Amino acid sequence: METIRIAEKILGKNDELAAANRERFEASGVFVVSLVGSAGGGKTSLLERAIPRLAGRLRAGVIEGDVETERDGRRIEALRVPVSQVVTGGTCHLNAGMIQKAAARMPLTEIDLLFIENVGNLICPASYSLGEHMRVVVMSTTEGEDKPLKYPAMFRQAEAMVLNKVDLLPHLPLNVSELEDFARRVQPELKIFRTSAQTNEGIEAWTKWLMKCRASWRQANWTN
Amino acid sequence: MHEASIVESLLRQVAQKAPPRTEVHRVHLCVGRLTNVSPDALNFYFEALRSGFLSSRAELIINQPALFARCQNCGREQEFADWTWECPQCKSGPLVFRNGSELELEAIEVEDNGNHPHR
Repeated sequence: METIRIAEKILGKNDELAAANRERFEASGVFVVSLVGSAGGGKTSLLERAIPRLAGRLRAGVIEGDVETERDGRRIEALRVPVSQVVTGGTCHLNAGMIQKAAARMPLTEIDLLFIENVGNLICPASYSLGEHMRVVVMSTTEGEDKPLKYPAMFRQAEAMVLNKVDLLPHLPLNVSELEDFARRVQPELKIFRTSAQTNEGIEAWTKWLMKCRASWRQANWTN
Repeated sequence: MHEASIVESLLRQVAQKAPPRTEVHRVHLCVGRLTNVSPDALNFYFEALRSGFLSSRAELIINQPALFARCQNCGREQEFADWTWECPQCKSGPLVFRNGSELELEAIEVEDNGNHPHR
């Protein structure tokens, strides 16, 4: 019996595709933010609120990922920004190959800030990088304080957490300080935003932060 | 869930790395304890999907190394069997982990196809 040492990442191919995606985005001046979170946390609703605020400031685009239906894609279409819907048909996460194909269908030179909305799932997307510059976890006030402790891999990868549906707080026993403390135990650098896609609370602050991130990235990397 | 996709990638990777005219007997993986990847699910999908790539004798061996973390509050470096968020020493945190995100094909054990040893 011969032992052959390999020491290679199992998902190395996905990582290579993700790196290629990143290069392609950078070549077109596109800053990419992926949104992850449980199904029903409000990812699509947040985009519906944030994208109109970017109008006139940054040109947005969206890659929508869902297991079934194009409903979210159509919601974004109504905002009159470029959108590409990926329907996985069963796969519980987006991968870099799917993003490569979706991006090929988009006018990248007409986009400054590209959002990728992942399939609603707090586990599987953590293993698959897509070529994005930043990950934002979206969770809602109805999900409980200990979400970050139960799904640490996802929160650890994120630059920011958006706590959505804060308009429901008067009806919920949620201890927001405890939630934020738990989130920072998992990822000490996590920026935390409190929003309501219903009342628009916090949307401006989050949008401003996204613009700031893009501006820093542009200054550091893209001299065109 | 995504362990099926991971196993599909793994089987292609092993088939590519195995030298011609050998049979793969064991596949050694390193799966970090912070990945949320389930060894049970990996084993399940490995057995379900290996035909077409490997013989039914091929075995999956999963190594899950201990975690090492440093407490940002008290500075102590410790070993952990599983992920946690509280330092056992000072009861605070956060804990910053040095490892745990590995998802690697470490090695394969192969035997020459034309050479069947007598047992």
